[in-house]
Amino acid sequence: MSVLSVKKLTKQFGSFVAVNNISFELRQGEILGLLGPNGAGKTTTIQMLLGIMTPTEGEIQYFEKPFPLFREEILEKVNFSSTYTNLPWDLTVKECLCFSSYLYDIKNRKERIKKIVEIFRLSNLLKQTLNQLSAGQVTRLNLAKAFLNFPAVLLLDEPTASLDPDVADMVRKFLLEEREQFGVSMIFTSHNMAEVEEVCDRVIFISHGKIIADNTPLELARSIELCHIELFVPQDLLKLKEYLKKHKFFFKEKNRYIRVDMKEKMIANFFSALAKEKILYEEVSIEKPTLEDYFLEVTRKKTV
Amino acid sequence: MKIHRIYGTMLRYVFVLRHNLDRVADMFYWPILDLLLWGVTSMYFQKFVPDASWLVLSIVSGITLWLMVWRGQYELPMNLLEDIWNKNLVNMFVSPLSVKEWMIASLIMGILKGLVSFAFAGFLSFILYQVNVFSLGVFLLPFVALLLMSGWWIGFMVTALILWFGRRMQALAWTFAWVLAPFSLVYYPLSALPPIAQKISLILPTSYIFEGMREVLTTGNIDISKLVLSFILNLLYLAISLFFLKKAFQKILRQGLIKLY
Repeated sequence: MSVLSVKKLTKQFGSFVAVNNISFELRQGEILGLLGPNGAGKTTTIQMLLGIMTPTEGEIQYFEKPFPLFREEILEKVNFSSTYTNLPWDLTVKECLCFSSYLYDIKNRKERIKKIVEIFRLSNLLKQTLNQLSAGQVTRLNLAKAFLNFPAVLLLDEPTASLDPDVADMVRKFLLEEREQFGVSMIFTSHNMAEVEEVCDRVIFISHGKIIADNTPLELARSIELCHIELFVPQDLLKLKEYLKKHKFFFKEKNRYIRVDMKEKMIANFFSALAKEKILYEEVSIEKPTLEDYFLEVTRKKTV
Repeated sequence: MKIHRIYGTMLRYVFVLRHNLDRVADMFYWPILDLLLWGVTSMYFQKFVPDASWLVLSIVSGITLWLMVWRGQYELPMNLLEDIWNKNLVNMFVSPLSVKEWMIASLIMGILKGLVSFAFAGFLSFILYQVNVFSLGVFLLPFVALLLMSGWWIGFMVTALILWFGRRMQALAWTFAWVLAPFSLVYYPLSALPPIAQKISLILPTSYIFEGMREVLTTGNIDISKLVLSFILNLLYLAISLFFLKKAFQKILRQGLIKLY
C-alpha cells in the first residue's frame, strides 16, 4: 500500500527548473533514500512534500488524500527532522518537547515525552537550553521531536549528521525497529552512502531536478560494474605504474599499495597481463562496487 | 481549528519570556519611560497655561491607551521574527498548526501583554500624577477594543512586509506603529496638526479614539459617531491587511519558507 504518491511534481523559479516532473511512490514500511549531489533538488522536493513550498505543477497525495486539501489531517501523521532547521535555541530540551507535543493531537503527552526522552538518551539534558547542547545532542533532540506524534511517514534530512558513530548506529537501529514494529515509512537523505545502503530499501537518485535512477542500493551499485583492486607491490612498482598508464587505467598509489579501478569482466585479463609482464605483487583485495561508487560515477558524468 | 495547537504556540512564546528578561522588561520599561518623559514635560507646561488641569490628564491617558496599539501590533511580527531568528519557523509549519491558529495565539499573547502593560501604566500614572485612566468609565472598553483592532491591522501589515521582503524589514516590527503615532492625535488635538497632516489623521481609526478620549475627559461624554467611524475604518484596514498578509504568505510559500532564514 502506498502512503505517499507524488505525480509529475515540478518546481520552477523563473526559468530555472529545480524539480522537473518527478513521480514516485513511498510504500508502507519502506525506507526510501533520496540521493543526489548538492543542488539536485532534494531539499526542494522535501519542502514541497511538507507543504512549506508550493509546487509549480504536480500532485502530492498522502494516504490517498490530496495534500493541500487535507493538510492538517495529513500532518498529524507526518513529521520531519533536518539539519537546516532548529528548535528554539533559548528554550530547554523539556520546553521544546513540551510545546511541540501540543502542536499534535497526542494522547497522554507527559508519558510520550518521558518515553521519547529515554529512547534518545536526553533524560539528563532536560533542563539544558539548546545553546548549551553539542551538535549531536541537538540532532538527537530533533529526532525525538520527529517521533513525538507516532508518525506514519517521516521525512529525515541527514538525520545522523554530526552524531558520534555509536549514537548514529543507535539511531539507525531505532529507525529500523520503528519500521519493523509500527510500519513507519521514511524518506531519508544522507551523504553517508554506507548508511543509505544499510538503512534504505530503495533509492531514488535525483540530478538536475530529474529522477535518473530508482532502484535498490545493491542494484544501483551493480549497475556501474566498477571494481577496485588493491595490490601490494614491494618491487615492481614502477613497472606496474608504467603498465597502468600505458593501458589508461585509473589508479592511486600509497605506500607501495596500488588501487586500480576496472570493470568486473576485465579482472581475469588484468591478472594474466600482469603475469605475462612478470610484474610481481603480494596481497590482493578486490572490492565490489558500492553505492558511493555509483554516486561518484553519476555525479562526475553529470559534471563533465 | 484546535485549541491544543493554539495553546502549544502560546507556550512556545511564554517559554521565550521565561528565558529572556528583556522581553518581560519590554512590558514595563516603555510605559515607565513614556510616562516619566511626557508626564513631567506636561506638568512643566501646565505651569504656564492658565486653567490647564486637563493637560497632564490628557497626555498621560493618551500614553496609557497608546500602549494597546503598540502591544497589539508588536506581538505578531515579533513572534514571526523570533522563529525566523531561531530557524524554528519550519518546525512550526510542518506540524498541523495553521497560519490562522498561529495568528490567534499571537493575538491572544498581544492582548494579555497589552493588558499587563496597560494596568501597570494605569497604576503608575495614578502613583506619579494622580491621574486615573479609569475615569474614562464605560468608554474605556470600546477605546481599548478599537485600539487593539488598530494594533492588529498594523501588526498584520508589518508581518506581511517581513514575509514579502524578508528580514531586511524586521526593524518595522518595533518602529512602524510610531510612524502613525503623530497622526493618531495621542498627545494633541486635530487642530494642532498642519492641514496636510490633518488629512492623514482623518483616515486613521486611532485619531478618532484619542479625540474621543479628550472629549470624554473634558465633557464627560462622546460623539458616538467617532467610535462608529473608528470601527468602520478598523474593519476596512483589517480586511486590507489580512488580504495583503494572505498574499505575502502565498508568495513566501512559492519561494519556500526556509527562504526567510
